[in-house]
Amino acid sequence: MRNIDLIAEESAIRHFGGRRGRLTVSELLIMVVLIILALAVVLPLLLPWFFVFKTRLEFSYNPWSLPKQISWTNFREAWIAIQIGQGLLNTLKVCVGAVLCTVPSAAMAGYIFAKYRSRWTEVAFYVVLMGYFVPVHMVLIPLYQLNTKFGLVDSMAGVFLPMTAFGIPFWTIIYRSFFRSLPDDLAEAAKIDGAGHFDVFLRVMFPLAKPATVLAVLLVFIGAWSDYLLSLIMINNQRLFTMQLRIAQFMNAYGVDHMPRYAAAAVIAAAPTLILYIVGHRWILRGTLAGALKG
Amino acid sequence: MLRTRSIVLVLVVMAAVLIAGMVPALAQDRVKLTVWGRDLPDDDPAHQYIKALVEGFQAANPDIELEYVALGDPGLTDKVKVVMASNSGLPDIFQSWGGSVMGGYADAGRLLDLTEELADIECSEAAKAAMSWKGRTYGVAPFFAVAGIFLNEAIFEKYGLSVPTTIEELEEVADTLLANGVQPFACGARDGWPVLALYMYLTDRYGGINAFAEAQARQRRFDSEPFVQAALKYQEWVKKGYFGPTPLSEAYGDAQQLMATGQAAMHVTGSWMCAQYGDPTFTDQPLGFYPFPEMPGGLGKITDIMGQTDIGFAATHVAVDKKDAVVRFMKYAMSVEACSAELGRICSVPGVQAQNRLTQMASEVFGSAEAIQFWWDQDLPPTITAPLNETIQSFFLPTTDVKMALTAYEELVADEVGPVR
Amino acid sequence: MKSSVDAAPMTLAATHDGRRKKRLDYRRLLFQIVFLLPAVGFLVVFMFYPIEETFRTSMMQTSALSPPTFIGFENYQRLFASAEFRKGLANVLAWAFWSVVIQIPLAFFIAFSLVAYSNRLTSKLRVIYYMASIMPSAIVAMLGRFIFAPRFGVISTIAQRFGWAWLQNVDFLGDPNKVFWSLFAIATWAYIGFGIVYLMANIEQIPMEIREAAELDGANRLQYALYVVLPMVSYPIRILAIISTVGSLKLFDVPYLMTGGGPVYYSTTLAIILYKQGFVNWRYGRAAAVGVIIFLLSLAFSIAQFSMQRKGGELD
Repeated sequence: MRNIDLIAEESAIRHFGGRRGRLTVSELLIMVVLIILALAVVLPLLLPWFFVFKTRLEFSYNPWSLPKQISWTNFREAWIAIQIGQGLLNTLKVCVGAVLCTVPSAAMAGYIFAKYRSRWTEVAFYVVLMGYFVPVHMVLIPLYQLNTKFGLVDSMAGVFLPMTAFGIPFWTIIYRSFFRSLPDDLAEAAKIDGAGHFDVFLRVMFPLAKPATVLAVLLVFIGAWSDYLLSLIMINNQRLFTMQLRIAQFMNAYGVDHMPRYAAAAVIAAAPTLILYIVGHRWILRGTLAGALKG
Repeated sequence: MLRTRSIVLVLVVMAAVLIAGMVPALAQDRVKLTVWGRDLPDDDPAHQYIKALVEGFQAANPDIELEYVALGDPGLTDKVKVVMASNSGLPDIFQSWGGSVMGGYADAGRLLDLTEELADIECSEAAKAAMSWKGRTYGVAPFFAVAGIFLNEAIFEKYGLSVPTTIEELEEVADTLLANGVQPFACGARDGWPVLALYMYLTDRYGGINAFAEAQARQRRFDSEPFVQAALKYQEWVKKGYFGPTPLSEAYGDAQQLMATGQAAMHVTGSWMCAQYGDPTFTDQPLGFYPFPEMPGGLGKITDIMGQTDIGFAATHVAVDKKDAVVRFMKYAMSVEACSAELGRICSVPGVQAQNRLTQMASEVFGSAEAIQFWWDQDLPPTITAPLNETIQSFFLPTTDVKMALTAYEELVADEVGPVR
Repeated sequence: MKSSVDAAPMTLAATHDGRRKKRLDYRRLLFQIVFLLPAVGFLVVFMFYPIEETFRTSMMQTSALSPPTFIGFENYQRLFASAEFRKGLANVLAWAFWSVVIQIPLAFFIAFSLVAYSNRLTSKLRVIYYMASIMPSAIVAMLGRFIFAPRFGVISTIAQRFGWAWLQNVDFLGDPNKVFWSLFAIATWAYIGFGIVYLMANIEQIPMEIREAAELDGANRLQYALYVVLPMVSYPIRILAIISTVGSLKLFDVPYLMTGGGPVYYSTTLAIILYKQGFVNWRYGRAAAVGVIIFLLSLAFSIAQFSMQRKGGELD
């Protein structure tokens, strides 16, 4: 309790009107609600840890007890079966490909839709938006046939190019809304200084949209990392399997009748994205703050 | 300018990634067989056959390069569907349950006819029939599963119960169990398909082995008497609590847990569970496998057995130029050497010994069969199989009028396959 | 690249030259085309070709293996006549409604509080809210089942421990009346992160001066939230509404992995029906028709949303 008081006190000092003193009831209440919601988000993520050290029988009889001993067998077996090395490289190719193809395309399109509005760009916006309305199962078979035609089956590009097509509409919408919220003055100033359309975008507007870019890079990366369906359909060759496919291979082979091992695989599957997110999160914070100062 | 340079760099990397991604896998010199299967060939007790098959075949055939890809469930079925529809990227061989799904692929010309090549393989008639369609053979089924009752012998002993041989006895057993706080049946109704095994047997015991065959051949309606009687009995049991208070939330894996811990006493399902239920690391309960009881006055017999392919392989037309390699694989899949590694499935090949008591019991049930009926959802056309399981699943809702549900199903079948003649 | 940057001042020199205005417009147009090219290119190749194919298939009867036969609008008629489809449609519309009504206000509350009460505690909390959103769907569904499963699930285990009989045997995933809300709770948990991060980024863009001005006027934080911040992020909120609506119409992962659309079809969605028709029931034409319906509904909702905005008058 003292801890919270301390923090709240500090908050009262730093924020909103320099009102000094102890925290108000409403502030305390909001902090409590925020903590409860945060616990609701994070606690379920810890559930697999109840299972991962157990044997199957131990799990069957006492799923929620503390494990009798800490045994890494389940992790070891999951780890060996998943053979993460090769899968990791393939996954990285997909992720980098998806980010490099999605983010610049979406930023450029979002910029045009926000700052060069005319009847024809509005039409183009709807055309791009339509891509967002497509459920992936609807186009799975035609996409596979298309990839066959282009010789993209069994290549990482065959995964990240369609993935890009699925990602662009969403991120174009996000970029459009970000660019719209940016004031035009800076762009005007740059134009008077003699900057061209491309220069204004590259030197003024794109840097100002950094919060959106950081968000897009991180989330496209994580999304590509977690992809299962597109990779499953587009990749036939075991050597080209992504990490997520290898994990799914393993998890599907055991399923819930081998929950401890299944849970261990789930932890392995989630760990890289979680670490990436926690590291990347600093950038989001820094990115958004920088945006606020300049705006 | 620094920024321009970094943009150029990004574009170069982008191009590099694109090009790197587009280089297809290089072709190999040796004959290469691509096999898509379900399970990983690893040390798990349930995966011993596939491991022995993959490793043994490769060792015995150094001139063939075997690429085995484990895709799990439903990865395997989804992926096979896509490549079959597109007719590109097909594997040479894929794991298949045979039946109508394989038949659909055969009708579309995607499979490789191996009728002559596989004719001399010794195996049970049921297994052979399962991998055939319209008189042609497309693959092999080294393992064949039958449906029956797994029951917890310790619980039966504790309450002085004996293995039921009639439906009345079964109900008495269930009532006794219920009175003692033991759930009579585990099911796994959430997954849909597990509800079918019991319904097939109830229908058979009321209407005989021909009831379904006639309905399938469109000589009888799916809402005719035996189907309705079976459904009423099924729903009566649900209402009495034979499946516990929350059957529709429980997946097949949950049902296994109930059996593994002795919370439920019986499980009507396929003999593929012998490996798990006989594995001491999975359950410490003594389980046995018995045929589903008879219904006095009904037309079905205790020797009418429901069965389906447990593990099967079918070949596709892309393997037409390496038929020899494919046949060698199929024959090895049916070899005593490979099949002996399996711990819990009924082998179709003569001369393979059952590896544990439970599998032995299941084999005896299979051996006692006078009539084998294929699992309905493997035998009916795909357009009407999932709706069948959903119809049976709806019996678990106390509000469902089973007669109306069956009539709705009959109308669907009439629509898809044709009306009763 | 470099040369285009160098050439830019020359172009701009034309800005103040009235006679060359026409040429300037041409450059402006060219710039727009070049900038839209990658996005539109990707979509045309990898999206519109498959969509066009799907639209055609939706008028066919085919298993995807058999040669298709043209049957007009029969697939659509059959769909609207089926109780399963109507239930799926009702589910996704309810889902869209409740995600706008529940998830977006909740996301705004969290995002605003995190920004307005910026301190050491909230800066730690920020990291947490998005965590569930980065989990692959298979894991989300697995955790959801841990929570709601009968008997062994977290809720019923806790109920057992404390002897709450009323909660012990609640059939969260098997009762047709409860399954929607169980799934919705898990989906809210898994999907709300994006709304929070996105709104937070937008709220933080509000300049400090505006905040100080509100303070000088004597506004408290609630008033500041409702009368200053909310109107300023109304556009992002509408974007979120579109994203949630379309996302609901396409909803697949969480319900499919947790219940398979069951019991029977009580928690089904349009995308689950699409998948089942296409990949399980081998009615590929019918599946395509479901896809077309999802597409057209999304289009209708988005057009309605964007034109509502235009009528509402915005700050362009």
